[in-house]
Amino acid sequence: MPISAADPLLDIAGLSSGYGKIGVLHGVNLTIGTGEVVALLGPNGAGKTTLLRAVSGLLPWSGSVRFGGRDLAGASPRDIVKAGLAPVVEGHRVFTQLAVLDNLLLAAYDLPRGERAARVEEALGLFPEIAAKRHERAAALSGGQQQILAVAQGLVRRPRLLMLDEPSAGLSPVLVDRVLVVVRRLRETGTAVLLVEQLIEKALALADRVYALARGAIVLEAGTGEADLPHRLEHAYLATAHVN
Amino acid sequence: MTQVRPSRADALGATSTLGVALPFLALLVIGVTLPLFGGGYWGVIATRACVYWVLVSGLNLVVGFAGQIAIGWVALLTLGAYTTSVLAAGNVMPSLSPYLALAIAAVVGAIFGLIVGLPALRLRTFYFAITTLGFATIVTQVALAWQSVTGGGVGVAGPIFPKPFDSQWGFYYFCFGLAAICTWMTANIAASRFGRALTAIRDAEVAAEACGIAKPPLLALVFLFSGAVAAIAGGLFASLQSYITPDAFTLDLSVLFFIAILIGGRSSILGPLLGTILLTVLPEFAAPLVAWSTFLYAVLLLVIVLAMPGGIAELLDFKNRRPLESGRAIVPRPELLDRLLAAPADGGAGALTLEQVALAFGGVHAIDGLDLEIRSGQIHGLIGPNGSGKTTTLNVISGYYAQQSGAVRLNGAALPVLERHRRAHMRIARTFQTPRIVGSASVLQNVMIGGTIDGKCTFVESLLSLPRHRRDEVLLRDTAMLALSAVGLERLAPVRADRLQHSELRFTEIARALMLRPAFLLLDEPAAGLSAEEIGRLGALVVAIARAGTGVLLVEHHADLIFDICHHVTVLNLGKNLAAGTPADIRSHREVVNAYLGG
Amino acid sequence: MVESIVSTGLAIGCIYALIGITYNVMFSASRVFSFTAGTLGMLGGVLGSLFIGRLGLPVAVGFLLALAGGVLLGIVTEIVAVRPVLKSLDQHLYVLSTLALALMVQQFTAIEWGTEARPFPRLFDIARGGFDQEFWLPMLACLTVIVGLELLYRHTLIGRAFLAIAEDTYAARALGLPERSLRMASYALAGAIGALAGFAGGEMLLAFFGNGPMLTFYGFVPVALGGMGNNRGAVVAGLLLGLFQQTANFLVGGIFASVAVFTVFIIVLLARPEGLAGAAVQRRV
Repeated sequence: MPISAADPLLDIAGLSSGYGKIGVLHGVNLTIGTGEVVALLGPNGAGKTTLLRAVSGLLPWSGSVRFGGRDLAGASPRDIVKAGLAPVVEGHRVFTQLAVLDNLLLAAYDLPRGERAARVEEALGLFPEIAAKRHERAAALSGGQQQILAVAQGLVRRPRLLMLDEPSAGLSPVLVDRVLVVVRRLRETGTAVLLVEQLIEKALALADRVYALARGAIVLEAGTGEADLPHRLEHAYLATAHVN
Repeated sequence: MTQVRPSRADALGATSTLGVALPFLALLVIGVTLPLFGGGYWGVIATRACVYWVLVSGLNLVVGFAGQIAIGWVALLTLGAYTTSVLAAGNVMPSLSPYLALAIAAVVGAIFGLIVGLPALRLRTFYFAITTLGFATIVTQVALAWQSVTGGGVGVAGPIFPKPFDSQWGFYYFCFGLAAICTWMTANIAASRFGRALTAIRDAEVAAEACGIAKPPLLALVFLFSGAVAAIAGGLFASLQSYITPDAFTLDLSVLFFIAILIGGRSSILGPLLGTILLTVLPEFAAPLVAWSTFLYAVLLLVIVLAMPGGIAELLDFKNRRPLESGRAIVPRPELLDRLLAAPADGGAGALTLEQVALAFGGVHAIDGLDLEIRSGQIHGLIGPNGSGKTTTLNVISGYYAQQSGAVRLNGAALPVLERHRRAHMRIARTFQTPRIVGSASVLQNVMIGGTIDGKCTFVESLLSLPRHRRDEVLLRDTAMLALSAVGLERLAPVRADRLQHSELRFTEIARALMLRPAFLLLDEPAAGLSAEEIGRLGALVVAIARAGTGVLLVEHHADLIFDICHHVTVLNLGKNLAAGTPADIRSHREVVNAYLGG
Repeated sequence: MVESIVSTGLAIGCIYALIGITYNVMFSASRVFSFTAGTLGMLGGVLGSLFIGRLGLPVAVGFLLALAGGVLLGIVTEIVAVRPVLKSLDQHLYVLSTLALALMVQQFTAIEWGTEARPFPRLFDIARGGFDQEFWLPMLACLTVIVGLELLYRHTLIGRAFLAIAEDTYAARALGLPERSLRMASYALAGAIGALAGFAGGEMLLAFFGNGPMLTFYGFVPVALGGMGNNRGAVVAGLLLGLFQQTANFLVGGIFASVAVFTVFIIVLLARPEGLAGAAVQRRV
C-alpha cells in the first residue's frame, strides 16, 4: 500500500460474529474511507444487519475493527457513538412515547448541555417534514417519518461515519428519495456513509463503492462505476455451491 | 436390514441405571441402619428430614421439573397437619384412625394443590409466585382465626400413630418408609414421558406444544400429586411435633423447601434429596447457626442462582464433564428412515393445502391471499425476501397464528385454528428457526420428548412403574435411538444437549420431529448456521424423508438448498404468491430475481 | 366510623400505591419485578425508628438517612440480583435472586432489630386526633412522588432517558445512551420511593420486620391490577385496595378481610391476567 494513501476510516478485518452458538459472519473484510459512501448489498440472511450490530458494539465479535485508527475491541455502544460512529438500526425504532424533540435530545445525551439545542436544530433543519412536528409524539408520525427521525437522531452527533440499515424498508418511493438526498449531501460535508440496502439500483446510484455479502462473507467488492456490475451481483447472490 | 446396534441402547440404559441407583441405595442403607449408630437426638433430625422430603419430593415435580415458582407450598403442609390432627383428635367429629385421617388429608391436599397451582396456567411467573405466597399467609391466618376447629393460637395436638409406629424409632421407620416410597415414585415419573414433558414445558414450551404436549392436564396431575404428598407430610409433621400451632408454619419453612430444590438442581431427584438433608441437618451442627439459618439459606440460594444454577445435580454430573470429541461430523444414515417412518395405516398420498389464506397484523398484510399445496412424498420450498411472510405461513399451518380468511386443509378437512398442540396428533411436525430444546436434558431425552403422545401408560402407571410404563419406555428409547442414528447423532445420545454445537442441535430437532412419524414435516430455515457440507447432508436427509412418504415444507433463505432438493418452489413477496413452479422455472423467472435483488 | 374507614383506607392505600410504584420503576428499567420492593417499605419504617427514635437524630436527618438506606438497597438489588441474571438465558432467575436478597435483608432485620413491632416516632409534635398525621403523611408522600415523577419524566433529560429505556432498550443502547447507569439510577430512585413509603407509613404500620412480606404482597396487587409499569393504574388500584381492605375489616374482621382481598385479587387476575388497565402481551414464535 502506497505510503501517501490515507488510512481508511473504518477498517474491518476477519470479522466473525453471531448469536449465541449460531455463527453468522465468517471472516468479513471491509474498509470505508473518510467521506466515502459504501453500499453493502446481499440476500436475506447473509448477515448485513449482524455486521452493523457487531461494529456498533451491540453484539460480541472476534477479528479486528479499527475506527479512525482506534481499535474498537471491547468498546461499548456508547463509546463507539462518542467516537463518531452512528448506527441507525433497522425498523425505524424511535421512542414512540416521547416527542420528536425529545427523541433528538436523547441522541444528544452525551453532548454538553449548551450544545444540545443547537445540534438538534441542525438535525431538524435537514428534515423540514419532521421539524414541523417537533412537539408531537413520535407515535403520531407515519412509518416513513419515523425513519427520517431515526436518521436525524444519527446525525445529531455529527458522526464521521453514519451506518444505515435498510432505511428504505417500509418507505414510499418519495420518502426514500428524501432520505437518499440527505445521504448524498452528507458526502459533501465529509461524513462517510455505510448503506445497507435492498434497493440495489438506488444504492448503486449513490455509492462510491459496493460490497456484496452472502452467507456470512464478502463475495464481491467493486467500484460503482465498473462495467457489468448488475450481472456480477446477480451471480454473487444466487451462485450455487454445487451442481444439482 | 441393518441393525441399529440394539445392544448399545440397552447398554446405555443399563449402565446409567446402575450409576443412578447407587447413591439412592447408599442412602437407603444408611437410613435403615441409622438406629445402630445414631442416638435419639439424630433420630428426631432424621425423622424430620424424611418428613420434609416427603413434601419436597412432590414439590420437586412442580418447581424442579415443571419450573413453576410455587414459593408458598407450606400452605399445604399446614392444611395437611391440621386436617390430620383435627380428624384424629375428634374435636369436630368422632375421632378417626390416624391412617384414615392421613388419607383424607391427602385428598384435601390434592384438591388444594390443584387450586393453588392452577393459576400458573394463566399467570406470569412472578405473579404466580406472589399468589402462592399470599395463599400461604391466608391459610395460616385462617388457622389462627378458626378457633373452634383449629384451636386458634392455642393449637391442637398432633395425631399419634398406633403400634409399632408409636415409639420414636418406630415412627422414624414409618416416615422413612414413606420417604423411600416417594423417592421411588417421583424417580419413576422423572424417567417417564411425563417427567420429560414437564421439562419440555419448562424450557421449550413452544416446542412442547408442537410435540403435542398439553400443559393444563399435565400440570393438573402434578399439582394433585404434589398437594397430596405435601398434606401427608403435614400429618407426619404434626405427629412429630406432638402439638401444632399456626406459628409453626412460617414462611421460613416454605423457603427451606423451595431452596432445597434449587440447591439440589432442577430435573433431578437426588439433588433435592441431598439438598433437603443438608438444609435440615445444617443448623444442628452449630447452635448459633439456628437463628441465622434462614439468612444462610437465602445466601445459599443467591450463590446458587448466580454461580451455579445447576445446583448439586450439576456438581454430581460427572458424565457430562468428560470432553466431547472435537471435529465431530454429523453423518446421517437415511437408509434407516424406512424403518422409522413406516407407511401410515391410512394409506399414502395426501396433501396439505392453503386456500386464499390471509392474515394481517395491524395494518400490515403478512399473508395476502396465499395458495399453497404440499403433497406427500414431495419437498415444497418456500422462499422470499425478509418480511415476505414465510415464517408466518409456517406458523399458520402449525397453529400458532389463526388466519383471518381462507382455509388450511389436511386431506380436504379444515385444520382447526390455533390448536397447536393438536397438530402433532395429526402427524404434522415442525422445527424452529432457533432450535428449541431442553438444555439440561440429554440429546436422547430431548428426542424422546418427540414421542410423548405415542405413550400409552397413564400417570399412575408411571408413578408405580407398572409393566405398561416400562414397555412404553423401552419402545420410546429404541425409536429415539433409531431417529438419532438416522440423522447421524447416535454417538451424542447421552450428552447434555446444551453442550452441542448449533448444527447438531438442528439435527436433534429434526430427529425429534421424526418421532411423530410425520405425514407432513415443516422445516423453518434449517440451513441457517450450517456449513456447506452440513447443508449438503441436510439436503440428502430431507430428500430421504420425502422419499419415505412424508410431505415436506422447506422455508429457507439458502437459495442453493432450495434449488437442489425441492420438487416445487413457491416464492413469496409481501405475503403474496409471486411465482410458483419447479426450481428451474423459478431460477430464470425475471421477477423473482428482481424481488431477491430488490428491484 | 365511615370517616375512619376512609382515612385509614386511603392512607394505607397510598402506601400500597407507593410500593406498587417502586415495583413499576424497577420494572420499567429492567423488565423484571423484584421481591425487594416490599422489603424497602419495611426498611423505611425500621430505619426511621432506628435513627429518630432510638438514636435521637433530628427528624430531617433521620428521614434522609432512611431514604439513603433505601437507595443503597435499590442499588444493591440492581448490581447483585438483577444485572447478573439479565444476561442469562433462563428468563426467570430474577425471581429467585431478588427473593434471596429480600429474604437476607428480612432475616437480618429480624435478628438485629427484633421480631416485635417497635413504635415509630411521632414526626410532628401536634396533638393526636382527627385527621391525624399518620393518615396525611402517606397521602402527602404519595402525592409528592406522583408529582415528582411527572416532573422528572416530562422535564428532565434523564427522566426521558428512563422512558426511552423502558420502551426500547435495544434502540436506547444503539443510540449510545448509558443503559447500565440509567438502570442503576432507576433502581436507586425506586429504593428511595420504597423507603419513603415505609417512612411516611411508619406511624401507621410501626417499625416491624413483618411488614416486609405484607407489603411485598399488598404492594404488588396495585401493579397486577393496574397494569405492569403503569403508575397511574397503580395509584388508583392502590387506593381502591386500601378502601376495600378497611371496609372488609370493618364488616367481617381482620382475618377474613385478608381472605376477601386475596380472593378478589385472584379472581380478577385470572379473569384478566394483564390487569384491568394493562395491555395483553403478544406471543412470539
